[in-house]
Amino acid sequence: MNKTSTLQNALMLAPLIGASDTLLTALSLALLCLLVIAVYGLKMRLLRAWLSAPWQLPAAMLLAATLTSLAALATQAWALELHQHLGLYIGLIALQCVVLECNGFFTETRLLDRLRLCALFVSLMIALGVLREVLGHGSISWHLPWLAADGSVRLAILAPGGFILLGLLLAARQAWLGRSVTP
Amino acid sequence: MNRSLSVLSLAIIAVLCAGTLYLAQQVLASRIGAEQRLIESRNLLDMLPTDSYDNQPLDQPLALKGVVLANSTLLGGYRANLGGKPAAIILLSRVTGYEGAIDLLLVIDSQGRLLGVKTLKQGETPGLGARIATHPNPWLAGFIGKSRGDPGDSGWALKKDQGQFDQLAGATITSRAVISATHDALRYFDEHQPQLIGSAP
Repeated sequence: MNKTSTLQNALMLAPLIGASDTLLTALSLALLCLLVIAVYGLKMRLLRAWLSAPWQLPAAMLLAATLTSLAALATQAWALELHQHLGLYIGLIALQCVVLECNGFFTETRLLDRLRLCALFVSLMIALGVLREVLGHGSISWHLPWLAADGSVRLAILAPGGFILLGLLLAARQAWLGRSVTP
Repeated sequence: MNRSLSVLSLAIIAVLCAGTLYLAQQVLASRIGAEQRLIESRNLLDMLPTDSYDNQPLDQPLALKGVVLANSTLLGGYRANLGGKPAAIILLSRVTGYEGAIDLLLVIDSQGRLLGVKTLKQGETPGLGARIATHPNPWLAGFIGKSRGDPGDSGWALKKDQGQFDQLAGATITSRAVISATHDALRYFDEHQPQLIGSAP
């Protein structure tokens, strides 16, 4: 893993932890991210022919900022409550686009790799959203009342709980991979 | 690929981006404003049963801004009428909790009984005091139907302060603040009942 892909993954962490406290916000932010990044990728592909290398970055920033603002305006107009929950995480999509651009995500990687990264992001968002929804918002207490006295594990909806759950998911993946390699 | 072509295309992109955003902002501004007002009014009015009033309470603000009570400050109020008679008063109150200001919405009927309490804004400890923000809220629902006279001025306190009410576990200061603000609001209503509901327009 080189330095820039660390940055790319670290940026992904912000929505992963911050916006996955309910399934609805996790799902909608993941879809919004995908939509903006896809539109951005298509537009940049058209524009790249008209710009020499040093001028691509400013164009990328303009385009990413515009698309993100449009997405933010649209959520404000049609789903204001959702916008109030997602807040600044929508704005971070622009940064994600620019970092992906700098990383050569749209130019140097194969389509399959791009799809894999997107699918990974969306599935992690959904997994975290489901876990935190079930643990933190009380759905689990109907079945396991001994686990949480007042009905839910509050830690799960806080940021530290998000980190812990993400860590457990990664650990589970490591364990799974380790098992399949050495049966 | 020459430099001037790049500059030209960048300029065109910039103008197009700015234009699109400006247009989108113009088109959507009124819609966003309407959505905001809708959410705000739903926020303020959802403690009132829909058939208990027939006016637009938010169009009839009461001049209560900045009234300082024993433990809290009133931020404003609204009157809900039914058939021209005052049915309920909505009070907005700010009290200092554990972390900072807590904004509460209290609905009091014309007899001085509490119809509901709701937290509008708070910054209490997540998982402890911040539980006052969940809605519907069983702890806050425990105040419904109470008035200044029931359980009486000395009863409006936590059980550990020789009062009548349980506290939220682990959030004594938050609970105390909410109870004292509720008590303040009921006392204010009781003392100013003629001004609040007497002069129906």
